[in-house]
Amino acid sequence: MIQLSNIEKVYRTKTIETIALNNININISKGEFVAIMGPSGCGKSTLLNIMGLLDAPTGGSIIMDDQQVTALSRKKLALFRNLKLGFIFQSYHLINDLSVIDNVELPLLYRKGISGNERRKRALEALEKVGLSARTKHYPNQLSGGQRQRVAIARAIIGNPEIILADEPTGNLDSAMGEEVMNLMLQLNKTDGTTIVMVTHDELMAKKTQRIIHFFDGQQVS
Amino acid sequence: MLRKKYYTALTLLGISLTIMIITVFASFIDQIISANPPEINRDRTLILDKVSVYKDGKKTDATPSISFLQKNIRDLQSTEKISYFTNREFISFLNGKTTGHALKFTDENFWKITDFEFTEGKAFHINEVKNAARVAVINEKTKAYFFNENEALGKTFPIQGLTYTVIGVVKSASPFSKIYSDVYVPYTTDINIQLTDKAVEGTYNAMLLAKTNDLRKVRSELRARMKIKNTVSAVDSVKVQAFTSLEQFSKSSSFNDDEPEYGKTAIVVGIVLALFLLIPTISLVNINVTRIGERAEEIGVRKSFGATSGNLVKQLVIENIIITLTGGLIGLGLSVYASQLLVHFINTFDPLFKMPTDSFIISWRVFGFCLFSCLLLGLISGVYPAWKMSRMNVIYALKGGNNL
Repeated sequence: MIQLSNIEKVYRTKTIETIALNNININISKGEFVAIMGPSGCGKSTLLNIMGLLDAPTGGSIIMDDQQVTALSRKKLALFRNLKLGFIFQSYHLINDLSVIDNVELPLLYRKGISGNERRKRALEALEKVGLSARTKHYPNQLSGGQRQRVAIARAIIGNPEIILADEPTGNLDSAMGEEVMNLMLQLNKTDGTTIVMVTHDELMAKKTQRIIHFFDGQQVS
Repeated sequence: MLRKKYYTALTLLGISLTIMIITVFASFIDQIISANPPEINRDRTLILDKVSVYKDGKKTDATPSISFLQKNIRDLQSTEKISYFTNREFISFLNGKTTGHALKFTDENFWKITDFEFTEGKAFHINEVKNAARVAVINEKTKAYFFNENEALGKTFPIQGLTYTVIGVVKSASPFSKIYSDVYVPYTTDINIQLTDKAVEGTYNAMLLAKTNDLRKVRSELRARMKIKNTVSAVDSVKVQAFTSLEQFSKSSSFNDDEPEYGKTAIVVGIVLALFLLIPTISLVNINVTRIGERAEEIGVRKSFGATSGNLVKQLVIENIIITLTGGLIGLGLSVYASQLLVHFINTFDPLFKMPTDSFIISWRVFGFCLFSCLLLGLISGVYPAWKMSRMNVIYALKGGNNL
């Protein structure tokens, strides 16, 4: 499903060269739930951003869904993200000016051939899946952290993506809410067969996944 | 837009003031050159207001006399109607107050070339002109001054010591127009007319309504007529100048007193309008850069979920156009008050002669032009910041990158 070969990411300034990722080779199969762990600054989030096609690697190749994506144009990358990927961020990244349902609908705005009614119907279904169908007209700042993250999950799944990339999804939540969000992701993986890659610091959460990849200083250590 | 109240208010203020200035400027030009009622035939109405006499290699310009006009241009084949008029002023004393009034001496054809809306009575006829009848057509401002809200028809008022009877009341023409006056009376009652009877030089203008839109025909006939009918003795040649309002405006704005130069006029008007638009556009671009910059996180989220740069530019530009159109509509509303304020300001320079406060009329043409200016303003001031923002690195945007 995801095949990373010799991935490198180097940040260069006039005086300093920082190697964020060095020779990363990872294969993730369809339907797998993988956790990426490691100390702060080890390159986990950078790797996730590269997998999410939000950032380009300095070297190496990425094959996703049997497609070489490293050479795609900006427009095609945007289309690929829209059709195949869903994101869950640590700080939710909901748009405060939009209601819950409008936030959830957002990925479908950029998909051709979906009517307003269809968007609304699918957003309601997604919100129902995460248990927030009663909060459709609320705004993000009227919700708790756990609820916001559930809205973010609904937004990530509305387009039925094959891959969900979650960057410390429970990092800002207390243990009960974190547990709730984790269970939701496990359920998605189990029932829908969605491939999930999750960056986390939380070993307990990581242990619930099928595989843990450890990172240290920009390198994969296990 | 509603969340960023400060930037929205600042943007709306900038746009509305810009559009207000453009509207006043455009309606001023519109009233000078366009065929608005009562000057519905403006496109083919020429004003002959200058006669040039050449003698011993020297040129002398003057306003023609009525006798010169009547002798030389009365029966032009290329014209449908010809009217003569001169502008004077008179002072009235009423209720201890001294007021000045614009007075126009003219003939029956004046009312046929123009299309005044009469609220009372009618225009004077050929017989009243022939008989030098002391009858007057007044505008509503003058009616209100002399007769308040009562009917003015048949009532009398003094002009230069003589009593005139009101036979008609019209809606006011634009004070920027050649046909504007507070009071219109037959030219045959002009007591100063005899003084210039035999001379070339006088105080009268002719208004020529051409048969077709080909005004060159009229001018060429006038030139030929001056060659044949040179009744002025002891001069080498005589030339007359007859131009439409648009041509007159073109002559003055292209700094050429003799011939209209549309190219130069377009450049001058274009530069003025560009300056009116350019300065606020630059300010708006700056405001938009900051305003859109504050939405970096949102842009990052939208890009993460598949928005292309094109999607984002479209969204941001449409938002900008909506805000610009809102500002533009406020500006159009403000321009009504601004024009009245301008008239009050102009009126302070002359204690006697007052322009009507509704002198600026915003026509559909001006309205359309201003809406177009709004769209242009919205497009220009929105495209650059939107394009720059749409190219922002997603990771940087998600972190709320606060500059471009």
